[in-house]
Amino acid sequence: MTTNSDAGTPSVKEVCDFITRYCSWLVGCGATCIRVEKNVGRIARAYGKEADISIMPRHVHVSVVDDDSHESMTSICKVKNTPISFNINTRLSELSWEIADGKVDFGDAVRRFDEIVDNDSQNCWVVLLLVTLANASFCRLFGGDFTAMAIVGVATAVGYFLKLTMLSRGIDMRVVFIACSFVSAVLGATDVLFSLGDTPLVALGTSVLYLVPGIPFLNSFSDMLYRHYICAISRFTDAVVLTCCLSIGLCGGMMLMNVGMF
Amino acid sequence: MIGQILQDALFAAIAAIGFAAISRPPRRAYIYCAIIAAVGHSLRYVLMNVLSWHVPIITATLVASFVIGVLAVFLSPVAKTPAETCLFPALLPMIPGMYAYKAFGGLAMCVIRQGREAFDYYFYLFADNALTCGCILLCMVVGATIPIFIFKKVSFQATR
Repeated sequence: MTTNSDAGTPSVKEVCDFITRYCSWLVGCGATCIRVEKNVGRIARAYGKEADISIMPRHVHVSVVDDDSHESMTSICKVKNTPISFNINTRLSELSWEIADGKVDFGDAVRRFDEIVDNDSQNCWVVLLLVTLANASFCRLFGGDFTAMAIVGVATAVGYFLKLTMLSRGIDMRVVFIACSFVSAVLGATDVLFSLGDTPLVALGTSVLYLVPGIPFLNSFSDMLYRHYICAISRFTDAVVLTCCLSIGLCGGMMLMNVGMF
Repeated sequence: MIGQILQDALFAAIAAIGFAAISRPPRRAYIYCAIIAAVGHSLRYVLMNVLSWHVPIITATLVASFVIGVLAVFLSPVAKTPAETCLFPALLPMIPGMYAYKAFGGLAMCVIRQGREAFDYYFYLFADNALTCGCILLCMVVGATIPIFIFKKVSFQATR
């Protein structure tokens, strides 16, 4: 990593490149716009620069200006296409404070950044188990009995396994949502068809709720409150499209099983 | 009654942990997500079902979300995570999934069923559930974000 020879401070280009990659990952992993702004401003100030960012639905636009020389640079980068990860969000926020507090120099910061984004693995079987338990509990919160919880658990486990399998094969997210909600709805409808429990409609309704894109919805409203309207609308639209796909699969499953909704 | 409140808190905590897992939080954040979700959801349950004047779901959600937001802001420096890492998963058990489901169901039935009477009925179901769903979502986020606004210094320095 090359830096300006005097006092080892990084050049405007180096800081701009680093901040652009940082923004790309932070927005991609589901951070709110206000957090991205705060973290980026903190990093730039630590290197004696000012940074302004513009967050668009699929790109980030970063301008960095040196406080002393007034040298400036602008860079645009695609938002990283990565699953939502609060782990990356947390570790990148920690990194911004370490830079601001002078605990790491520029070279170390770049190495730490690469290490953070390269090491974000998760045991998918544990997640599958947790999501299954979560959706069964969700069914209970909506008034479902234990039979409904068991059926929702099975529907969720099968649907989430299908989601992981399809996503690992690079299938479009919208197709994945339609297929998973269809399968979960068909399994959830067994409670209605065979009159297994006392709350069959709760089982049917909650069997697909593990697919509701809650974080994008919450992020979009948060961005709206901080007046990042374009990003808010973009995230909201993404979430609505996925919810529509979920509903298409649900309706298809119900029609196949000949189960009424109301 | 206490048993029902505790049951609500327990299932909300399990739901928060499971839904949090989808968004990959750091391991140390799970316990905080569970505690905050349990307190918030059981508070909403008490407001809606236990108090003699039954608080409407939208108001109860606003109050519970505010409490969740305050807890997330003050527990996030302990967990060393951004406030949203504890906040958003803790809110997820309150996502109005059933209202969204019924709203889309109403919309689908509007299209499928013939006749004005049936259309009016299903459009009413769609509009009623969609409005409730939207208001709950808005109250959740507004209620939970106000503490981040008020305690900006604490919430944005949590990972320091």
